[in-house]
Amino acid sequence: MKNLLKFLTPFAPDQSGASAALYELGGLIVICDAGGCAGNVCGFDEPRWFTRKSAIFSAGLRDMDAILGRDDKLVEKLSKAAQQIKPAFTAIIGTPVPAVIATDFRALRKMTEKATGLPCITCECTGTNYYDAGEEQAFLDIFKAFAEKSLPVQKGRLGIIGATPLEISSISADKFITACKKQGWKDPVCYGMGTGLDEIKAASSAEKNLVISPAGIKAAEYLKEKFSTPYEIDFPCIPESVINSAQNLNGKKVLIIHTQTAANSLREKLTSEYGCECTAATFFMQKSTLCRKGDFKLNGEEDLQNITSQDYDVVIGDKALRRAMKNFKGEFIDFPHFALSGNLTD
Amino acid sequence: MNKAYCITADELAERGYKNIPDELLSAKHLIYSSPATLAFNSPGAQGFGVKRAGLAVPGSVMLLVSPACCGRNTSALGAESSYADRFFYLLLDDTDIVTGRHLSKIPQAVKEVCDSLDYTPSAVMICITCVDALLGTDMERVCRKCSDFAGVPTVPCYMYALTREKRLPPMSAVRKSVYSLLKPTKRRPDEVNIMGFFSPLMDDCELYALLKSAGVKKVREISRCETFEEYEKIAQANFSLVLNTEARYAAQEMQRSLGIPSVELLRLYQADKIHNQYRLLGKAIGAELDDREYYDDTLKTIENFKDKYGEITFAVGEFSNCDPIETALALLRYGFKVSEIFATVGELNFSFVKKIAELSPKTRIYSNLSPTMLYYEPDGEIDAYIGKDCKYYHPDAVGADWNEEIQPFGYAGVKALFKELDKQLNGNKRKGERKQ
Repeated sequence: MKNLLKFLTPFAPDQSGASAALYELGGLIVICDAGGCAGNVCGFDEPRWFTRKSAIFSAGLRDMDAILGRDDKLVEKLSKAAQQIKPAFTAIIGTPVPAVIATDFRALRKMTEKATGLPCITCECTGTNYYDAGEEQAFLDIFKAFAEKSLPVQKGRLGIIGATPLEISSISADKFITACKKQGWKDPVCYGMGTGLDEIKAASSAEKNLVISPAGIKAAEYLKEKFSTPYEIDFPCIPESVINSAQNLNGKKVLIIHTQTAANSLREKLTSEYGCECTAATFFMQKSTLCRKGDFKLNGEEDLQNITSQDYDVVIGDKALRRAMKNFKGEFIDFPHFALSGNLTD
Repeated sequence: MNKAYCITADELAERGYKNIPDELLSAKHLIYSSPATLAFNSPGAQGFGVKRAGLAVPGSVMLLVSPACCGRNTSALGAESSYADRFFYLLLDDTDIVTGRHLSKIPQAVKEVCDSLDYTPSAVMICITCVDALLGTDMERVCRKCSDFAGVPTVPCYMYALTREKRLPPMSAVRKSVYSLLKPTKRRPDEVNIMGFFSPLMDDCELYALLKSAGVKKVREISRCETFEEYEKIAQANFSLVLNTEARYAAQEMQRSLGIPSVELLRLYQADKIHNQYRLLGKAIGAELDDREYYDDTLKTIENFKDKYGEITFAVGEFSNCDPIETALALLRYGFKVSEIFATVGELNFSFVKKIAELSPKTRIYSNLSPTMLYYEPDGEIDAYIGKDCKYYHPDAVGADWNEEIQPFGYAGVKALFKELDKQLNGNKRKGERKQ
């Protein structure tokens, strides 16, 4: 049955992606829920929660708030918290509750901006989509709201877009920064990981942008259109454990299951250095422009069950997937993906 | 500078229960996701939330029917854990959550889940969430359809975070669910149920011995039932002891459907109150419960601790197996100091606040849920903490997390707490000696 999971647990949802993109930017983030969704974000999907505080709260909605559509009560609570915390902006992130009652997020944004005098970003998440949908919306909206000024371009400055712990399976982007420096970039900045709102505001000063996940493409396109900042798509940091395992794969048929950018980057390496024949598959965003012949989208657990040893010698993906691949008897190499298993690479 | 909101015990007592400040009332502000909040506010997030609790029925499996986000943190239980083979998910899409069309798919999903197993589960627990709360789903009816279609008992579990402060919050509702498969049977006068927790009491809890002294031959707890047959015998008890108010409704239902009455006991850390409670329990069941030995031993343990460490200062939190306000009062009455309490003040524990105000008026009370807790900074030193949330606020302090799954209760609980504190403080002292 479609949408029935018998071997896997659900992947990170859109509200987790949206809050991950905004987490380090100094805003007051409200998850528009009854408590469970914020609990899921802070207790599970946001590994930075216990090492780096952020003003991320649950709206604490109760049944009558939802039934009667008491948006004014939410705005009142949010305004009170904004007075106590003095954030740079506010953000309201949707969940299944506002999705069911059809909350008017545009009106909610206007009411909040009027009440707090601060810019408000709203992400219409529903909890039914994957995390990258929430990231895409949040990255685009934060640049739209704050990257306004056209500043002189700084040579050697590289903006990294699309990084969150859900994408890179790490609570720090240090390895990406190091990798970019090795490539000759003097001043790489990773938006939303290790940097704050000031870097977003100064996005126009980047010589180039590097998009490391499909969720960052829309924001990069926006910056290209607004400031003529060119961008390229790459994932320059494949975990060492995967690289080490790949050294024995000469000439094999390999299926890589990950985000499209990470899978493409690994494919490049396996094809050019080890002569492998690689196919990339993903549960998440798949841009046709980044696809190669044979790449495919996974739509559910049943698709994993259809993968057999006759098709591939090796599968590289998060080990949580292995459980569902009952018909695959070949080699499996773990490439952690936090949005699937909640496992970090470090 | 921003500061975490707190109120002293005397100020709070003076304001009275009807006039608790907004900062201590969760309905009046946004909710900060501190470690304790995760346990309190997110009914599936920590420890025995609704999802894990629903699987207390031996041999059962759970089908979570919800948007993917509601089941996401079940990944924390791990693919290797014993729960990995017991959770299944029917994920709802955008159309489902608006139209409710998913309801017609549930019987087929239940059948597919059962067919995929190499055994027949004792029951399928259907866990539903806020979406169905808002859609007004009649899940009892859907479950009847599932039972008919799949041939396996199917029971609803309501993980409705939206109804947290209602008459039947999620953790009370799930307790009703897990006992709902019991059928009337011949009762046995020498058997008793303990209700309230999803893991057993400490093996050395005196309650077992006291019940035995009163002629009880068998004490049943759902967490100690290894098979469904054992679980079914819960229905033959003479009476139930309810050790957690969240099980009150389940006990009332048990009385209605099986005729089993119940007696409610509180988990307390004041030894004299524990004694009093046992005295009243004895009266209720018509037996004299001689707890003198346990009482004396408990006081001796506390005295020894005090002799060793002096009148030390504690912080007490609610992410623990205690009511932090009652435990703080107990510590004050034993002669210790309590500088701060992280708690949810309610009708039940407000009477303890008044007593704390008399003994230690300047003890500060914080709400784990207040957004201002983002700015909590320790105000003065503590010698030891009780509760995992305290560890979050005092990362360098020593103390007892006191949130293990095995449940402390009665005198055994008090003694175990002081033994754990002794272990932690002693270990820290040794580390200090080594440093010197």
